[in-house]
Amino acid sequence: MSEATITEVVKDKVYCLHNPLQLDGRLSAYPKLARGWSTSNCYVVKEPEGAYMLDTGYFAHQQSVIAQLDQVLDRSTPLTLFPLRITEYMSVGNALAISRTFNVRECYATTIDALLWLDLEISSPNRKLPDIDSKVLRGELMLDPSGCGRRSMVAFNAPIRLLNTAWMYDEVGKILFSSDMFTHVWSDKAEGPWLIAGDDGVTSNAFVRAFLLNTGFWWLEGARCAPLRRNLRRVFETYDIEMICPGYGAILKGREAVKKQFDVMDAILSDLDRSKVRPRYIRRDLLR
Amino acid sequence: MSNMSPLLTSKRPMPREIGSGVWWLGDCLGQLYNGKIYHGYNAAHMVVGTTAALLSDTGHPKDFPVIEKHIEYVLARNSGVPLKYLFLTHQETPHSGGLGRLLARFPELEVIGDVSDYHLAFPQFEHRMRFLGEGEAIQLGGREFQIVEPVVRDLRTSNWGFDTKTRCLFPGDGFAYSHYHWDGHCGMVAEEAISLDLVDVCAVFQERALFWTTFVDMERYVERMEWQMKELGVRLVAPSHGLPVTDLERTWPEIRKGLLAGAGKFDDMVKAAPEVEARTS
Repeated sequence: MSEATITEVVKDKVYCLHNPLQLDGRLSAYPKLARGWSTSNCYVVKEPEGAYMLDTGYFAHQQSVIAQLDQVLDRSTPLTLFPLRITEYMSVGNALAISRTFNVRECYATTIDALLWLDLEISSPNRKLPDIDSKVLRGELMLDPSGCGRRSMVAFNAPIRLLNTAWMYDEVGKILFSSDMFTHVWSDKAEGPWLIAGDDGVTSNAFVRAFLLNTGFWWLEGARCAPLRRNLRRVFETYDIEMICPGYGAILKGREAVKKQFDVMDAILSDLDRSKVRPRYIRRDLLR
Repeated sequence: MSNMSPLLTSKRPMPREIGSGVWWLGDCLGQLYNGKIYHGYNAAHMVVGTTAALLSDTGHPKDFPVIEKHIEYVLARNSGVPLKYLFLTHQETPHSGGLGRLLARFPELEVIGDVSDYHLAFPQFEHRMRFLGEGEAIQLGGREFQIVEPVVRDLRTSNWGFDTKTRCLFPGDGFAYSHYHWDGHCGMVAEEAISLDLVDVCAVFQERALFWTTFVDMERYVERMEWQMKELGVRLVAPSHGLPVTDLERTWPEIRKGLLAGAGKFDDMVKAAPEVEARTS
């Protein structure tokens, strides 16, 4: 796919494999009326001894994702898969294909028996699955792709989520991998931009609020938002974040830009809290 | 009528006809919660009319061999009725991940409902996907399968289904709860699983798929479910994960309690458990 691109997020350490997504109302992750382009972002976190892959992309992008991986990773490098949302196609769509092509040793998932969740291929499900070690990702988990204590990362339950979702933090790149949160920056053009330093031009309380309420976070209106705010604040205060790398849309770079994203989220959650907004049943497709 | 035997995937024979022409298909999957393995279904259901049959959800991808056999069993008992429609409640893989295998196996099968995302997950079958919205229906011969309001949703694109003949609601994750394998609940309807503690077993799915339900005023959603069940005249419920409900008057009050009991359970994101690795029992 010609618009597929790679962003070297941190030199020789973190790559983002972008594959274009047309916003035409057929993507559950975006508002029905959103138009333009976004990207499906798979991340590769790399050390000489091993690498992590965060999400594997949609099947429609399989050839592209494998070609992109070939550009950033030697096929013999030990690779660990982290589908951040184990029940979603974007996270698991190419896991088996990648496992057959690259040296995948482990797969972490928020469920047991991770491999059972990866096998969506049409050919016989009775065939032997790759020999990959299933690891359980629960609570807070300290990780290290180097395997020798050089690269500290942590995975944890997403503090605000719709489905079963994990976030990760990379200390070297000072990056928060936020999966399906902070995904509201898209483009008129298939080519992006997919890395924005500083002001992204769209983030405001009104815009992000509408984005959340018209996607998977419809339920925030009138919810008990205090614990969600507390948990989000804890992430911001615990980790030194200079960049947000979401599963969809543009990467947001810069300490001020990151602070703004968290401040906007906090303000929105404060405004939507049940102390200010009367709880009510929210119908599907209610535009707000 | 076939002489095939029901397939013994649990202590109770599956597939199981839970209403006239409504079949419960699938198998259990272990879920780790609170250091224990709970069992939950990722069920599919078949609705068989006189001219066509419909499959609601595909079951978990790992269950395809079981689901395929169950479909064949049901079709063999309904000679001449083709499996024509696949309705998916939403885009999570335990509900729709078997789409590719089913479309490859049944060439007449068409996917209906909100078919968002599937063109990216199964692009080779995009021409067999048709958007159908709430209020629209499929005629199966002697019965109609309607797409109805999804009160409890997993995604922006969730939908629920309803069979007019048996007044059966197909709520996807709407009645999501696990069951006790150790008490022999696999294959039972809710009313047969006497030791089932619905407050306990609702929590497993509240943590996973329905985290949001622990932050909202669920009373509002439960009221809407009650309104919908009354409006549609629901008599039978065929959930994806929970055991089928055949006596709403008896079981709904307990499910109601379970749905409301989640408030505050997952307020501390870290408390949600560093647990040891475990395998399906």
